Amino acid sequence: MALASEIRSLRNRVAIVGVGASPQGTVPGSTSLSLAVTAFKRALDDAGLKKHDIDGLLTMPGTTSPERSDNYLRLGETLGIDAKFTGSMTMGGSTAGALIQQAALAIDSGMATTVACVMGDAAKSGNFRFAMAGGWSDSWGIWGMFSAAANSAISASRHMALYGTTSRQLGEVAVACRRHASLNPDAVMRKPITIEDHQKSRLVVEPFRLLDCCLISDGGACIIVTSAERAKDLKQKPVMLTGFGQACSGRTLEREDWWYVPHQKEALERAYAMAGLGPRDVDLAQLYDNFTISVILWLEHAGFCKIGEGGSFVENGRIQLGGELPVNTAGGNLSESYMEGWLHIVEGVRQMRGECGPRQVPGARVCLVTGRGMKLNTANALLLTAA
Amino acid sequence: MTEAYTKPVPTLDDLNRPFWDGCRKGELRLQKCCSCGHVRYPIAAYCPECLSEEAEWTPLSGCGTVFSTIVFHQVYHPAFKNDVPYNVSLIQLDEGPRMFSNVVGVPPGSVKVGERVEVLFDAVTDELTLPRFRLAARP
Repeated sequence: MALASEIRSLRNRVAIVGVGASPQGTVPGSTSLSLAVTAFKRALDDAGLKKHDIDGLLTMPGTTSPERSDNYLRLGETLGIDAKFTGSMTMGGSTAGALIQQAALAIDSGMATTVACVMGDAAKSGNFRFAMAGGWSDSWGIWGMFSAAANSAISASRHMALYGTTSRQLGEVAVACRRHASLNPDAVMRKPITIEDHQKSRLVVEPFRLLDCCLISDGGACIIVTSAERAKDLKQKPVMLTGFGQACSGRTLEREDWWYVPHQKEALERAYAMAGLGPRDVDLAQLYDNFTISVILWLEHAGFCKIGEGGSFVENGRIQLGGELPVNTAGGNLSESYMEGWLHIVEGVRQMRGECGPRQVPGARVCLVTGRGMKLNTANALLLTAA
Repeated sequence: MTEAYTKPVPTLDDLNRPFWDGCRKGELRLQKCCSCGHVRYPIAAYCPECLSEEAEWTPLSGCGTVFSTIVFHQVYHPAFKNDVPYNVSLIQLDEGPRMFSNVVGVPPGSVKVGERVEVLFDAVTDELTLPRFRLAARP
């Protein structure tokens, strides 16, 4: 396995040295561009870097970015950066982690020194509804099959039928995320909820209720990556990229286990192998939660429990702060803000620096961060460690 | 006279027209690869198994099993506003492929994973007939 050993050589060679987020939620007068710029400036300040230190620019076009895949040009022009290494990527909720991995490869190969990964999206103010249907020429919408929620509802329905997972167990994920958001002054939804609140919330796409679904938010985020060597001289305690991996099910309906998002497990296995770590080494996790079921699947894929046991795993506060495996300590997509997973990485970095105040996991050294996107197609995992 | 049909319709081309023509004639048919025999869905120009372009349209039994099932309460497309709550199910066809459709004729939330279903053809316009599914008659 030559490839695996080569990737293993990247372990701890690249670090995250700056993170920034714009105000989140409903940000009046904002645009995808203004939110991205705000996040970029905050990440630069966080890193103690100047704009001219950035020679790589990787971006995710927001759903409301009119320039779409030309987003890297729009941002390069706006920020006044002539990057040696640049581009945009659209992998939905897997984009943030994928861009950081791309940055790591570029930095390690010498194509760039310091890469800013940036996104901004005024999805809330722009009333973007994530109602897209799959299916190309024969749109699933012909049969009324629309939205990101529906794809994950298909997952949840089958998981419930095969393994007895319940709506109340889905609710445990929502309750945990909300409790964590209540400790995060930057979170959009901070009022604690109960399982009963979850059970009383309106049906969206059964089995999902409103509180199974992530928010829709305005916001931006930026993550700055550089070599471990250079990171030593910078302002912040660096957070090491110890392991990472990606996987994709290009096939959708053609793959019988598509509903179970099997590539998530592949991405995690690659990240564990690169890092030389396993689930027992992980102190906390930021698991991509576009819908509550996603967290349950991640827990199974990441080896914290067996297949089909994710529903019972999330009970009894096990994924809450103080529990066995705190998950989504800033509130996640469900309660902090829906930044398509970018803030999961930001939170992972802050936890590894130990700067999270009342929501800090004491003594945490290893944080798993995951992302998933499109129509249950893309996935990635990062293993972040404290330097 | 019926109101204009404003729900999404297939983008007809030479590739998918035989499928939709089949539905109008009351036949569920899919492409079968002439090279490796794989029966495929979605409709595609190449076999995703062997990349052959040669395929023949093969009639299916129209029988299958509910693979997963959900109920829409949210209106994501205005043309469905009078339909909610409605069922969408992923159907495992006996010949191998899976496709999205609707299980009709029963309350939308009563459909269960693993139930046997059979195709029916719903002529929603003069030009367009949709394959939907109903619970199979007991043998």
